[in-house]
Amino acid sequence: MEQTPVLKVEDIRKRFGEKEILKGVSLEINRGDIKAIIGPSGGGKSTLLHCINFLTLFDAGRVFLNGEEIDHTDRRRLYAYRQKVGMIFQDFNLFDHLSALQNVQIGLVRVKKIPKARARERAVAELERVGLKEHMDKYPAELSGGQKQRVSIARALAMDPEVMLLDEPTSALDPELVGEVHAVIKRLAAGGMTMVLVTHEIAFAGSLAREILFMDEGVILEKGPPQEILYGAKRERTREFCDKIIHFHHKDNG
Amino acid sequence: MFLRQEVAPAMIRGVWMSIRLIVPSAVFGLAIGIITGTLRVYGHSVLRAIANVYVTFFRGFPLLVQLYLWYFGLARFGIYFSPYTAAVIGFSLCSGAYHSEYIRGALLSIKDGQMLGAQSLGFSRTQALVSIILPQAVRRALPGCGNELIYLIKYSSLAYMVTCIELTGEAKILASLYFKYMEMFLIAGAIYLLLVSIATWLLNNAEDWLAVPGFEPPRR
Amino acid sequence: MHLSISAGMKAVLEGLPYIMGGVWVTLVVVAGALAMGLLLGTFLAIAHVYGNRALRTLTGIYVWFFRGVPLLVLLFLFYFGLLGALHLDLSPFFVSIVVLGLISSAYQSEIFRGAILSIPEGQLKAARAIGMSDFQAVVYIILPQAFRLSIPAWTNEYTIIMKNSAVTYALGVAEIMARANHVAARTYQHFWLYLLAGFIFLGLTSAGTRCLGLLQKKVAIKGYAR
Repeated sequence: MEQTPVLKVEDIRKRFGEKEILKGVSLEINRGDIKAIIGPSGGGKSTLLHCINFLTLFDAGRVFLNGEEIDHTDRRRLYAYRQKVGMIFQDFNLFDHLSALQNVQIGLVRVKKIPKARARERAVAELERVGLKEHMDKYPAELSGGQKQRVSIARALAMDPEVMLLDEPTSALDPELVGEVHAVIKRLAAGGMTMVLVTHEIAFAGSLAREILFMDEGVILEKGPPQEILYGAKRERTREFCDKIIHFHHKDNG
Repeated sequence: MFLRQEVAPAMIRGVWMSIRLIVPSAVFGLAIGIITGTLRVYGHSVLRAIANVYVTFFRGFPLLVQLYLWYFGLARFGIYFSPYTAAVIGFSLCSGAYHSEYIRGALLSIKDGQMLGAQSLGFSRTQALVSIILPQAVRRALPGCGNELIYLIKYSSLAYMVTCIELTGEAKILASLYFKYMEMFLIAGAIYLLLVSIATWLLNNAEDWLAVPGFEPPRR
Repeated sequence: MHLSISAGMKAVLEGLPYIMGGVWVTLVVVAGALAMGLLLGTFLAIAHVYGNRALRTLTGIYVWFFRGVPLLVLLFLFYFGLLGALHLDLSPFFVSIVVLGLISSAYQSEIFRGAILSIPEGQLKAARAIGMSDFQAVVYIILPQAFRLSIPAWTNEYTIIMKNSAVTYALGVAEIMARANHVAARTYQHFWLYLLAGFIFLGLTSAGTRCLGLLQKKVAIKGYAR
């Protein structure tokens, strides 16, 4: 049976001045599916995720949620859409003046207009899910990078998203903190969360995603199952990138 | 006897008038500063330009000139303010321009990610400004705005120049009446010192009270 | 006597030479006060940073006093109070420079104190290591750096004194504001004359800010930026 993709992106183009960052990118993802986007820095991966959430406005292209096109000029519709699409940033973007608990709570109170007490219950539950209940009264400045990223995941989850966009969630972390964030993402995957993950952690991407997309110079060059892309890519450019990064990864671990 | 019968009542009247000048001017000034500071960073380009012009003039003209414009200047156009009203308008608009500088600087120092983070959760720009960006900016601006409030206490003495008789005015009247210039201005000066010291103490407490990790007040 | 702009402009044009004469008065008052504040402020800052406890307390009280009492009250206190008590006969012009200078010294000492404290300790140690006395180290090593760091704050201090100098009109100093007021009393064009005074002050502060910006560039040392 043909199902409607949760999220569909059609031919997104974006230029910053002279430079065309996205040259027509399309992508669709079904419920419960996980896709990983890999590729060299500056290839447009982060911009793509920001465009999907309309945090960066693109020049051309369309975005659909459950088959319905999103018109970003309809503010109310846009805000509702963003609640359904959870975004995890490279540098967390926790609200610096709010405690972990308040960070998770504030979207529920201000955006979803849930009464404070119930929002608090929900926030505590989400923090518990990412293993941070005992740190809930700490402020961002008092949390480690890994803890901050877990709070930001809890904050996104509290909004009941249908799909999550993760923009290099562990790239700003010290190596010893990567594991705790990966563990949380794996648990999300096991729970059936639909995800688009941009990452440099090839091994992690390979173990998690059903499909890997290789993106370079503003286009998706190649896509396929992890084994195929990582170890037997058809394109020279993809092979080169994967060889380099796998080699580096092995050296790093040994 | 002289102190209790003549000086104390006049000085108390003066202090009360000074406070009646300072408190509303501080409140209006802060409100104006937050609004124009925000407009200068996040406003529509026309509003931004207007706010910039406002700040240029109200920071650039001496406060005395501004007070004279409100009180004596506008009278020529049939606009009459009482000395008290003219003083409060003058103080509010002038200190609003200074507050706006601090608020603007603080807003600019807040990383883009805070707005992105809020928008990604479905906040509108206005909602994000009010509940995420401004609470952080106000904390960052507090030392500067606090200084401005201290200045306001001292500048309130200029109300005397537009014939609003507050602490300085009462002291001047008493001094000329009894030929006790040294004593009366020393008493007035001491009262200003007291007001400034109390305000400093309150502001430090406000900073500590509003402090959250990552937004600690600078230690003085 | 009209309310029209043309009558206002006429008064402005007629009064302009007289009012511009006040620019010199204002400039001398401001320059005098700044120079006095610079000299006193430097000593106060050094006393506060390197002095013993008594000296530190004393400078602390001085700064607290001159930063806490309004300019107008200090002008009255010095001119009507102190001069009378000491049986001195000094001009309002002179008293104004002294009072503005004393206030400025308190603010300038705070500026320099911050700058001195921000200079790494190694500088003083290195100066001692090549055989300088503490006095020499402060004069030749610390102060040249501290002054450079202070220029932006000092520029700000200049604009504040420039604007505050209008208050000396209260003692009858014939500066810009006083002269604008004379012409206004004669022509009844208060609004336009005060506006003119405001623009003259605005011009003086921006010109001074620009000059000090050039100074900052001139004394800047490559790689020594903060």
